[in-house]
Amino acid sequence: MSYQVTVEPTGDLVEVEEGQTLLDAALRQGVWLPFACGHGTCGTCKVQVLEGDVDVGAASPFALMDMEREEGVVLACCALPESDLVIEADIDVDPDFAGYQIEDYQAKVVSIEELSPTIKGIRLALDRPMQFQAGQYVNLNLPGVEGSRAFSIANSPANASYVDLHVRLVPEGKGTGWIHQTMKVGDELEVSGPYGQFFVRKTDDKDVIFIAGGSGLSSPLSMISDLLEMGDERQIYLFQGARNLAELYKKSELEALAEQHSNFHYLPALNDALASDDWQGFCGFVHEAASDHFKGRLSGHKAYLCGPPPMIDAAITMLMQGRVFEADIHMEKFLTAADGATADSKSALFKRI
Amino acid sequence: MVAKKLNLKEKYRALTRDLDWDYDYADRKKAFPYEEFEGIKITDWSKWEDPFRLTMDSYWKYQAEKEKKLYAIFDAFSQNNGHLNVTDARYVNAIKLFLTGVSPLEYQAFQGYAHVGRQFGGAGARVACQMQSIDELRHVQTQIHAMSHYNKFFDGFQDWTHMHDRVWYLSVPKSFFDDARSAGPFEFLVAISFSFEYVLTNLLFVPFMSGAAHNGDMATCTFGFSAQSDEARHMTLGLEIIKFLLEQHEDNVPIVQKWIDKWFWRGTRLLALVGMMMDYMLPNKVMSWKEAWEVYFEDAGGALFKDLARYGIRMPKFVETTAKEKEHISHQAWWIFYTHGHAAGFHTWIPSAEEMDWLSEKYPDTFDKYYRPRWELAKEMEDRGERFYTNGLPQLCTTCQIPMGFTEMDNPTQISYRSSDFEGEKYHFCSDGCKHIFDEEPEKYVQSWLPVHQIYQGNCGGADVETVLREYYKMNLGEDNMDFKGSPDEKRWNEWKGKGVA
Repeated sequence: MSYQVTVEPTGDLVEVEEGQTLLDAALRQGVWLPFACGHGTCGTCKVQVLEGDVDVGAASPFALMDMEREEGVVLACCALPESDLVIEADIDVDPDFAGYQIEDYQAKVVSIEELSPTIKGIRLALDRPMQFQAGQYVNLNLPGVEGSRAFSIANSPANASYVDLHVRLVPEGKGTGWIHQTMKVGDELEVSGPYGQFFVRKTDDKDVIFIAGGSGLSSPLSMISDLLEMGDERQIYLFQGARNLAELYKKSELEALAEQHSNFHYLPALNDALASDDWQGFCGFVHEAASDHFKGRLSGHKAYLCGPPPMIDAAITMLMQGRVFEADIHMEKFLTAADGATADSKSALFKRI
Repeated sequence: MVAKKLNLKEKYRALTRDLDWDYDYADRKKAFPYEEFEGIKITDWSKWEDPFRLTMDSYWKYQAEKEKKLYAIFDAFSQNNGHLNVTDARYVNAIKLFLTGVSPLEYQAFQGYAHVGRQFGGAGARVACQMQSIDELRHVQTQIHAMSHYNKFFDGFQDWTHMHDRVWYLSVPKSFFDDARSAGPFEFLVAISFSFEYVLTNLLFVPFMSGAAHNGDMATCTFGFSAQSDEARHMTLGLEIIKFLLEQHEDNVPIVQKWIDKWFWRGTRLLALVGMMMDYMLPNKVMSWKEAWEVYFEDAGGALFKDLARYGIRMPKFVETTAKEKEHISHQAWWIFYTHGHAAGFHTWIPSAEEMDWLSEKYPDTFDKYYRPRWELAKEMEDRGERFYTNGLPQLCTTCQIPMGFTEMDNPTQISYRSSDFEGEKYHFCSDGCKHIFDEEPEKYVQSWLPVHQIYQGNCGGADVETVLREYYKMNLGEDNMDFKGSPDEKRWNEWKGKGVA
């Protein structure tokens, strides 16, 4: 049994298991809430319950006052949901967040394309246009697969009647396995969205660096298309990482885009190129390519990271050593079921990274 | 157009930062004279993220309710003779150590934050420090009130402020805070807000508060919870200062690293007192010092330093020594007090047979090998009527001011001696960590007020130790000091509990 918790003002969704605290569930699912002690004595993690029932748990009477209890305030680190909830936390809404309504859509598979040996591009036509911000994702319900699966949207929001998704085959992954092996053109699916806090902060005029690994090219592709279509003149750098040439998908499209737009710079990197690839570009991991290009000094940029957790982790370290910090680092981590099991204990130093 | 509703962050900003003003006829540098001398470079104070957003009106509202609750419990505690519910009168000695050693630090923290709360150029940092300063004042007051009940029934509580300023072992906590307060404002925040309140606070508060809870001390337990509810602000301030300094300028990174090295080591030395309290002074044990160190520093701190590594900050210097010390330090510290029990303001004792078994279980690699034989010898001597007291005055470490009784951690039968020469004088240290701190700033530490040196120099009155204890420290000899066994505390306790004299 689990409950769905909506976190306002951002609208993030968190699944909380029976007996699990709000804070634990949120942090594990990448939704940051303020916290410090973690055991009900300090009161940093106070949130307001707007709808639903919660057990306040072991909150200290000094950390959670009677008057607050009466008003429906709980400590996220001890609160145990007893129904689906809507809570309001002391978190900032990004000024660039458009807050488009999350809705359910009926979708039909209109094309399946082999982008690389492990990645398929699928296009889903929606029963009506979906307003989304470039960088956001959708959830797919797949037949015979329990729960939903999240995929970033790869097309620009200008074409809102369909969504393009890049799906990497996860070894033993049920959802991606179904998409790769069973799904065919004409299949109907349930889609909901748009979700997520990954989008270009356009109100900030710094130049931008995108770092994409594996099928993590999807969001950056959407974001870059959107920026260029809008005539944005800032410098845009895309570092795309892949193992070898066959996995480096959309290469010629991106090279063409760089030809057309003098402010867009395409910088692919291969970390395990085959001899037959005859690779002349950067050899090494994608974060190394970015560090190499900027000679280790990246301050003054905003960075957008999209890909598997080890790539994100290495890129954050590289960026911080290059003096780009949390406020200028935005990311979408592609977690698979296998990643959740090995999550380390987290310090309260960083909110989002 | 309808004005947009301000969110909490904007509202707080308007209520705090906008209190700042521009300096048009005065020199800003003169207004904030301490902001630059430490070498810290601040390029943009507006990047300071308010660690908490609490306005004064809601602050008073919350604190008032906390006080109301807390004092209701103190009243109930005192009306019900709460002191009779503690597990054993030996427990009260842990509280004596807290009142004389820790509560005055809360007062020092109040003074320290009030000072730096004036010195930062950024209004956000000033407001955060001023609010913490008021919290700290509340903490010292509630602690005094909580413990005043014990003062009616037990010895050793009567002159705690006076003792804090003079007594030899209390110079350990006192000099720790004096060191921080006499540093610049940024070092003070890295020392107290980050290293102490964030990294090490759980090792001070959790043991004392859980110790109180496990030993029937409702008053201490309750002020602990009440104080903890303020710690949220203090811990988040600690995190913000570290992030802010590291992000403001890369030249700050080595300076911050140096301070983390220093204050981590200073903190671990101070916590030796907590370690012996946990392992020896609590009749009902909570967890061993070694376990506490593993949970609260090695695990929690490990995650923190993993994140800090992204800024180029490494684990504190000498952290590998602490991994060995956790096996030894509490035993060695209590031994120092046991052998100087005649000069301590609280009672000492030999652990009972059951307590020694608990220690063997918690310290399987060290207790039976190094420490049990020592306590058994002490017991044998006590039984023969030859209870051993060290009559000489101990040599003190110039940095941490703890008597030089700690050993080499790779050879726990050899006392660790380090020394440095500075301007023709020799200075002594208990460890590489303390020597390193001195060597970085010898001009500061040569000014240390070392209690033993002061006695020998004749600055503490008296021709002998007893006179110093009685007249300079204001200890009631024969009541405050010596073993618990045979003390007036023990006698009264047995009478209250209807037990015969042991």
